[in-house]
Amino acid sequence: MKAGWTISAVLHAGVLAWGLVAFATRPLNAPPPEFLSTDIISAADFSQITQGVRTAPKAEAPKPLVEKIGDDKPVENPTAKVVDKPEIVATADQAQPKPEPEKKAEPKPPTQPPAKPEPKQAFAKEPEPKVDPIAEALKKDNKPEKKPEKKAETPAPQKKVEPPKPQPKFDATRIAALLDKRDPQRRAATGSTLSSTPSLGTETGRAATLTQNELDALRARLRQCWNVPVGLADARDLVVTVRIQFKQDGSLVGEPRVMNSASHPAFQVASESALRAIRSCAPYSFLPVAKYEAWKDVIVDFDPRDMFRG
Amino acid sequence: MTVTLQSPLGFTRRRLLALGAASASLLASSAFAQVRLDVTQGNVAPLVIAIPDFVGGTPGDAEVARGISQVITANLRRSGLFAPIDPAAFIEKITSFDTFPRFPDWKAINAQALVTGRVTRQADGRLKVEFRLWDVSSGQQLTGQQYFTSPDNWRRIAHIVSDAAYERLTGEKGYFDTRVVFIDETGAKERRVKRLAIMDQDGANVRYLTRGEDLVLTPRFSPSTQEITYMSYGQGDPRVFLLNIETGQREIVGNFPGMTFSPRFSPTGQQVIMSLQQGPNSNIFAMDLQSKRTTRLTDTAAIDTAPCYAPDGANICFESDRGGRPQIYVMPASGGQAKRISFGDGSYSTPVWSPRGDFIAFTKQGGGQFAIGIMKPDGSGERLLTSGYHNEGPTFAPNGRVLMFFRDPGGAGGPSLYSVDVTGRNEQKIPTPAFASDPAWSPLLS
Repeated sequence: MKAGWTISAVLHAGVLAWGLVAFATRPLNAPPPEFLSTDIISAADFSQITQGVRTAPKAEAPKPLVEKIGDDKPVENPTAKVVDKPEIVATADQAQPKPEPEKKAEPKPPTQPPAKPEPKQAFAKEPEPKVDPIAEALKKDNKPEKKPEKKAETPAPQKKVEPPKPQPKFDATRIAALLDKRDPQRRAATGSTLSSTPSLGTETGRAATLTQNELDALRARLRQCWNVPVGLADARDLVVTVRIQFKQDGSLVGEPRVMNSASHPAFQVASESALRAIRSCAPYSFLPVAKYEAWKDVIVDFDPRDMFRG
Repeated sequence: MTVTLQSPLGFTRRRLLALGAASASLLASSAFAQVRLDVTQGNVAPLVIAIPDFVGGTPGDAEVARGISQVITANLRRSGLFAPIDPAAFIEKITSFDTFPRFPDWKAINAQALVTGRVTRQADGRLKVEFRLWDVSSGQQLTGQQYFTSPDNWRRIAHIVSDAAYERLTGEKGYFDTRVVFIDETGAKERRVKRLAIMDQDGANVRYLTRGEDLVLTPRFSPSTQEITYMSYGQGDPRVFLLNIETGQREIVGNFPGMTFSPRFSPTGQQVIMSLQQGPNSNIFAMDLQSKRTTRLTDTAAIDTAPCYAPDGANICFESDRGGRPQIYVMPASGGQAKRISFGDGSYSTPVWSPRGDFIAFTKQGGGQFAIGIMKPDGSGERLLTSGYHNEGPTFAPNGRVLMFFRDPGGAGGPSLYSVDVTGRNEQKIPTPAFASDPAWSPLLS
């Protein structure tokens, strides 16, 4: 009896112990979740991002980027190769002449890591009109010593087109040196005007544009005040465009003006109803004073299309 | 009869100059508008309007002047599109017609529009009625007219002024200067006396056109407004009659064997379209009133009745049970293929085409209820405006925005007239001296 108890206890304990080890230590076999990085932006941010100014003239070409104001030294042809590069002189003794970038680019073997050489080719052939500040910084750092080394190493063997092509070794530490090949833009770094952004902008910049909420508030207020005449029920495409100018306290500057006209018989009634709505709702004191520049001059289209549907 | 009034003090010209200067300066300082937004919805709230008593010349005229203001107020309020302000709230008392109202006083009571007017008696005994409609927010005169009329005709002037204000503020033609012909019903239910009667659209000036010996039904206005066509049971079969409102002259339309009923004028007033019963069937005929020539438009072994012209006269709609139960059909006015347009449950009858052409109104019977509804002429967009124990006989106001019909609540009572918007809103009972049925709305009188 006692032996039976003992055996039972030992066996049970054994089973339990085995179970603990066998099950508990096995990791859960859940696949690791894949993360998708997202940014949460508000509707206001989105409307700012996507917003443009309809009346802005189309910019033909970006202004050359200029870091310092100085004598205007435009580059006649920014894509042209720079022939005289006196400052780039090898410090070490260098027997071979400097090779042409094109030749060097041709026979590049496909076995190289794909990412790095490609930009290099591109830079060598067609310098972009803008200067990459990072590249500039790298260039300054690495100019004196690394450049000649690389020159000596990579292009030289390739010039002789021989069957056993020596593979140019890719050295990750010399990326900067590779990038250093580009320099034609240095001469455009001074100009008569300092330009940091090539696009047309408002005086106050983006920060003062109205957010969707404030636009909605203005729209809701006008909607509330607009008593749509029933005669507009048949006028499907009757839109009245009114320009409103506000003072800083939200009151009106002069009379709102109807900007368009139509031959529809109800147009006069429609435009008067729109003007009545604007006047009777003034002042619009809920508009934020801080953004006055953005709402001091507003164009509103009064269009009753949602009123008489169906 | 009507003369457009100049604004006092050369107001318009000054205003224009000021506006021109303002816009020039705007252009000069022109900065681009930064924000553009669209407002695609608005309010359907009634427009708040103030109608102070017109200024009267003599004490006698003051009575008329007040009456005119009251009629205008009642008209605009009944339309459902205006909210006249209670005169007790007025701050300024208008004492002169030739000076500007004090607009801040009217703005203070939320008035959006203001009607001022004056009544003066002329040397020849006629009344001169002038009015101006003001936009309170801008202080601009929207319209102004003057009318001359005999003193007992002042209600019509009030209706005309109402139409002018209505049209100027809503962009729709008005419908106040109109009349309604209807069947006046008096006496106990078993011995009802039915007389043809006519009144202003607001229920005033009721006049009886028949004495009540004969049963009269389905009166309809001619577009010329001087004539009415209706059906009457005299001795024998029912007949379609023509009646001149002014002269009282009466004549039978056509000389058909069997009974004729549900007559209606063509939009030109030159023809009358009606049904003629032949045996168990009835078909639709049109008769030219000048030549008395009759054209048969349908020829079916069914009951085709209640014909009605489209406002352009190109098509007719009518009711037919050729498909089993009464439904509405549309066909060319010269005859031809009829196309069924009503497909809902129940049966459809008494179709009538809106003067605007956009809807056909009908009576729909089903589930023990009678409803008044409208649908587009192609049969789409069916919408019931009112429903109940018994509603029947819709007729459109000349602007096509309001319908009148009669409603019988059942029991011991009798029918009365109601009006309702094509939106189904603003149902109103029309005051009549007794029970009333079968209304027909006239075109605008002026």
